[in-house]
Amino acid sequence: MTNAFETIPMRVVAEEDLGKPDLPPEEPSLPPGEWLKKNLFSSVGNTILTILVGALLFWAFRGLLDFAFNNAERDWTSVAANMRLFLTFAYPVDQYVRVWVSLAILLSLGGFSFALTRNIGGITLRRIATWFFTTGALVLAATLLVKGPLERDADGVLIFNEENEAIRNAVVWADRSIWFIVAAALFAIAAAIWFGFGDRRRFIFIPTHYVLYAMFGAAVLSLFVVKYGHYGLREADGALVPVMEPDSLVARSTRIPWLVMWVVTGVAYFVGTLLRSRGWFKGLTGLSWLLAPPFIMWVILRDPSFDWAHVWSTDIPMFAAFAIGGGAILFWLSKPDLGEIGRIIAFGLGIVAFLSFLSGALGWMSMLQKARISFVLLAMFALVAHNFAGDRSARLRFVGAWIATIAIVHYFVTAINTPSTLQGIQSDTFLGGFLFTLFAAFVGLVVSFPLGAILALARTSKFPIFRILATTFIEVVRGIPFITVLFFFSIMLPLFLPEGMEVGEIAGVLIGLVLFSAAYMAENIRGGLQSIRRGQFEAADAIGLTPTQRTGLIVMPQALRVSIPPLVGQAISTYKETSLFAIIGIFDFLRIANNVIPNQSTPINFVGHKREGLLFVSLIYFIGSYAMSKYSQKLEKDLGVGTR
Amino acid sequence: MTDATLAGSQPGRPPFYRDATVVKWFAQLVTLLVVLGVMFFLAREAGDNLSAKNIATDFDFLNINPGFGISEGIDTDPDTGGRALWVGMVNTLRMAAAGIVVATILGIIIGIARLSNNWMVNRAAGIYIEALRNIPVLVQILLYAAILGSAGRLLQDTGPIEGWVIRSAKGLALPRVFIADGFYQWAIWLLIGAAIGWFLRRQQVAKRDATGQITYPNIALLGSVLVFGIIGWFAHPVFGFFTSIFEALGDAYGKIPQGALQILLAVASLAIAAWWIKRFLDQRRTPAGLAKLTDDDYFRMIFAGLGGLLGALLFLVLWPGLSSWILNSGQDLLYLLSDKFGNGRTGQPIDAMKPTLVGEGTLWNYGPQGLTLSVGFAAVFLGVTLYTAAFIAEIVRGGINAVPKGQGEAAAAIGLSRMQSLRQVVLPQAFRVSLPPIGNQYLNLTKNTSLGIAVGYADVVNTGSTVLNQTGRPLSVIAIWMLFYLACSLTISVVVNWFNVRMKIVER
Repeated sequence: MTNAFETIPMRVVAEEDLGKPDLPPEEPSLPPGEWLKKNLFSSVGNTILTILVGALLFWAFRGLLDFAFNNAERDWTSVAANMRLFLTFAYPVDQYVRVWVSLAILLSLGGFSFALTRNIGGITLRRIATWFFTTGALVLAATLLVKGPLERDADGVLIFNEENEAIRNAVVWADRSIWFIVAAALFAIAAAIWFGFGDRRRFIFIPTHYVLYAMFGAAVLSLFVVKYGHYGLREADGALVPVMEPDSLVARSTRIPWLVMWVVTGVAYFVGTLLRSRGWFKGLTGLSWLLAPPFIMWVILRDPSFDWAHVWSTDIPMFAAFAIGGGAILFWLSKPDLGEIGRIIAFGLGIVAFLSFLSGALGWMSMLQKARISFVLLAMFALVAHNFAGDRSARLRFVGAWIATIAIVHYFVTAINTPSTLQGIQSDTFLGGFLFTLFAAFVGLVVSFPLGAILALARTSKFPIFRILATTFIEVVRGIPFITVLFFFSIMLPLFLPEGMEVGEIAGVLIGLVLFSAAYMAENIRGGLQSIRRGQFEAADAIGLTPTQRTGLIVMPQALRVSIPPLVGQAISTYKETSLFAIIGIFDFLRIANNVIPNQSTPINFVGHKREGLLFVSLIYFIGSYAMSKYSQKLEKDLGVGTR
Repeated sequence: MTDATLAGSQPGRPPFYRDATVVKWFAQLVTLLVVLGVMFFLAREAGDNLSAKNIATDFDFLNINPGFGISEGIDTDPDTGGRALWVGMVNTLRMAAAGIVVATILGIIIGIARLSNNWMVNRAAGIYIEALRNIPVLVQILLYAAILGSAGRLLQDTGPIEGWVIRSAKGLALPRVFIADGFYQWAIWLLIGAAIGWFLRRQQVAKRDATGQITYPNIALLGSVLVFGIIGWFAHPVFGFFTSIFEALGDAYGKIPQGALQILLAVASLAIAAWWIKRFLDQRRTPAGLAKLTDDDYFRMIFAGLGGLLGALLFLVLWPGLSSWILNSGQDLLYLLSDKFGNGRTGQPIDAMKPTLVGEGTLWNYGPQGLTLSVGFAAVFLGVTLYTAAFIAEIVRGGINAVPKGQGEAAAAIGLSRMQSLRQVVLPQAFRVSLPPIGNQYLNLTKNTSLGIAVGYADVVNTGSTVLNQTGRPLSVIAIWMLFYLACSLTISVVVNWFNVRMKIVER
C-alpha cells in the first residue's frame, strides 16, 4: 500500500517564486566584449557604420553642449529672470495667489484622475536602474565634454588672439567635482537597485503614479537645495531695481507654493483612492475637468466684479424664469405617454430658438445674448426629452440636469461679460505665456471633439446633403495651412460680424483653432467609424434600436475605442500648433522667447538673447509631446487595437 | 371588430411628419438652407462692413504696381501685385519640391536605420526621431534662423568657391539656371521624343512578354527623349511657326459671341444633369426591367435636375460675367502662348549665370544674376525637411514592420542576398503600406512652408500679407491663398492616389 499522496507529483514552489508572472528566465546578459561584438562590430560594414555614427553622435552631442553652455554667448539668466513672463505673461504680481490656486485645482484634478486610472501599470526596478545609469552616463559625458571657460579681462570682456578667436582656458577639473559626484551617486543608486534586488528586479513593479510623484517631489525639493538663482525686481527709492543673485536659492515666494502644490497633489491622490469606488466620483471628476478651465480663466484669474444690482434685477430673474419655466416644460415633455404632441412642441421650441437668433441678426428685437443661448439649449433638451421618459424620479433627474446646465451657462456668460477687478486686465489680453498655450490647447481639444464627431457622422451618413457639406468643410480646412486660417480669423472675423457683436482677437483665433482641429479630428473618428462591421448596425436594427440609439450606444463607443490612439496624436499636433499663435502677435511663450526677451534692455539688458529662450521653449514643448506620445503608445497596447 | 382593428393598424402611409423619407429630406434641406443663410448673412455683413470701412474686395491690385521688392525668387522687383504673388507661389513650390525630395530620402534612410541590428545606428535614429517630431516645426525654424543669422557679414571676397558660391549672414548665392528664349520650342521636341519613346517602350514590353527575350523598355524611352532633346537643342527654332497657329486660334476664339458660349455652357450643364439621371436609372435597371424606385431615388433625381437647371440659370442670367471671363482669359492664354513661341526667340532653351556682388561704399549686396538663397530659405528648408523626415522615418519603419516575417525568410530561402531581399521583396511591400501616410506628410510639408512668414522667407503667405497690408484687400488675398493651397493639396493627392492605385495588388 502506497500513500495516495505519493503518486501526486508535488511541485515545490519557492517562496520568492510566488506572485511571479510566467516570464521566461532572464537571458543571461552577454559579457561586455561579446555584447559589443554582437551589437556593434559583427561585420566590417557594421564596424565602419558604428565608427561613423559614433563620431556623428559625439560631434552632435558636443556641439549641442557647446551651443547650450558656450559661455561666450549663452546667458541663461535671460531665461531664469524671465520665468514669470514665460509662464503667465503680464499677470499682476500682487495677485499671484490666484495663479497658485488655479494650479492647485488642476493638480488636484490630476491627482483624482490618477487615482481613478488603477490599471496604469508599473515600471520594473530594472527599468528604473537603467534610467539612473543612463542619466549618470549622460552627466558624466557632459562633464567631460564641455569646453573650458573663455579668458576674460578684468571688465569681463573676452580676449581675442590675432586670428580673432576667443582665447579659451584649460578645463579646471576641480571646478567640476560636484558633477563627478552627481554622476557617481547616480551610478551608485543604479548599482544598488540592480545588484541589491538580484533577479527580482524584473518582477517588482513600482506603480507609475508613484514614480511620477517622486519625480515631481525631487524637482520641488531641488528648489530648496540647488542654487538656481534669485531674480526679480525690488522697489527702492520709488524705482524698480533688478535683483540678481545667481548664487542663491530661488525666491521663497516660489519655493513654498511649489511645496504646497506637491503636498496638495499627494493629498488629492490619497482622497481619490478613498473615493474611487463610489459611482459618482468618476463622473464628477470628468465634469470638473470640463468646467475647470473656464472656471479658472474667467472666475479665478479674471475675478469678475459683479454689478450686484444688475445681477438681482436681471440675471437672477432670468435664470429663474428659464430654470422653472423650462423645467416645467421638460418635465411635461418627458411624460412616457405623450406621443406626437411632444415632438411638435419640441420642434416649435426649435423654431423659437432660431427666430430669437434671426431677430437679433436682422435687428427686429433686441434681446440679451444669454436668452438666445438659453432658448437654443431648451430646444436641444426638448428634442431629446422623449429619450428620458420614465418614472417620476428619472424625469426629475432630467429636469435637474437642465437646471444645472442653465445655471452653469448663465453664470459663465455673466462672468465673462463682467469687467475684472484686477487692474489693467479688462480685456482678454491678460492671457499669455505658457498659461495661454495650455488653455488654447485644452479649448481646442475639448470643443473640437464633439464638433469632429458630428462632422464624422455627417460625412459617413447616408444623407447626401449632410455628406457633401461635411466633406467640403473637412477637405477645404485640411487643404489649407493653419496660418492662413489664423490670419482669416484674426483679420477677417470682425468684418463678418454684425454691428454690436464683437469677438476679441483671442476668442477669434481660438474659434479658428477649434474649427481647424475639428476637421482633423473628424477624419480620425471617421477612421474608427469605418472599422465598425456591418453586422453591428444590423444587430442594432434587429433589436429595434432607433438610429440615435444605434449611433450612441453601439457604433460610437466602438468607433471611439479604435480612434483613441490617433486622437491622442491629434492632441499632440494641436498642442504643437498653438506655437503658431506667435506669428499673428499673441503673446504666447514662443513669442516671448523670440520677440520680447531679445528686445529687453531694462531693467536687465538681454538684447539679442534669443537662442536660450528658444531652447527653453523647445524643451517645454518636447516634454509635453513626448509624454503624450508615450501615453498614446501605452493606450494603444492596453486597448489592444487590432488584436481584439 | 378584430378585422376593423387590423385594418386600422395598417394604414397605407404614416402621416407626412412621421414619414422617414420626408423627415430625412426635410432635415437636410433645412440644414442646407441654414448653412447657406448663415453664409449669405455673413457675406452681406462683410460687404456692409467693408464698404463702411472703404475696404475694396476686387482683384484690381493684381495689375497695379505693388510698390515693394521681394528678397528672393524669380523676380525680385515685381511690377504688378499679381506678379508679386506669383513670385511667392513659385518660392513656395520650389521649397515644397526640394523639401519633399530631401525629406523622402532622409526619412527612408533613418527609418531603415531605426530597424538596424547595429545598436548605435538604431539608437541614433531613435534619438533623431523623438527629438525632432516632438518639437513644433515653427520653434525649430526660428532656432535654425537664429543660428544661421549669426554668420559673418557679406563682404566682397566671402565664399568658399570664388565666384560660384557666396555665403554670409544674408544667405547663400549660387549660379542660377533659368528658362531662356528657346525653351518652349525645345519643349515641343521633348514632347515628341517622349511620345515616340512611349510607343517604343510599349513595343519592347510586348516583345518581352511574347518571346521572353531580355529587352530594355525604359532605356528605349529615355534614349528617345535624349536623342530628341539633343536634336531639339540646336533645331528648336523650327517650331517658331507655332506662334502664328496660336495667334490664329486666339483670334478665332475671340470671335465666339458671348451669347453662344452662354448657351453652350447652359446646355452643357443641363446635359451633365441629364447624363447623371440616365446613369442613375441605368444602375437601377435589372434584366427584369427597371427596379422599383424609392422616394430617395426620386429626391436624388429631382435634386440633380434642379442642380443642372441652376447651373444653366447661372450661366444665362445670374452671372453672365463668368462667360465673358472665360472668353477673355482663354484668348489671353492663347496670345500668351503665341508670344512665348515668338519669332524673335532663337536663343538657347536653358541658360545659366554666375552670382554677382554689387557694392555701394561699405555695403555689399547680392546682384540680380545669381540664385540667392536667404537665411529664411535655409531655415524653413531645414525646419520642414528635418521635421517631416522624422515622421516619414516612423512611417517607413511601421511599413517594414508590417511586412510578414515569412516574406524575408522566403526571400532568403530562394537564395536572395540581404540587399536583394530588401530591394526586391520587403521594400516594395512596405512601400505599398506606407504610401498613403507618406502622401499625407507631403501635404503637411507643403502647408508647413507657409511658416516662412516667421523668418521672412518670401513665400506666398509672406508676399500675400505684404500685398494685403499695402493694398488693403484682405478678402481677395485670403481667397487667393486658399485656392493656391487647395490646388497644391489636390495635385499631391491626385499624384499619390495614382501611385497608390498602380501599386495595389491586383486580386482576382
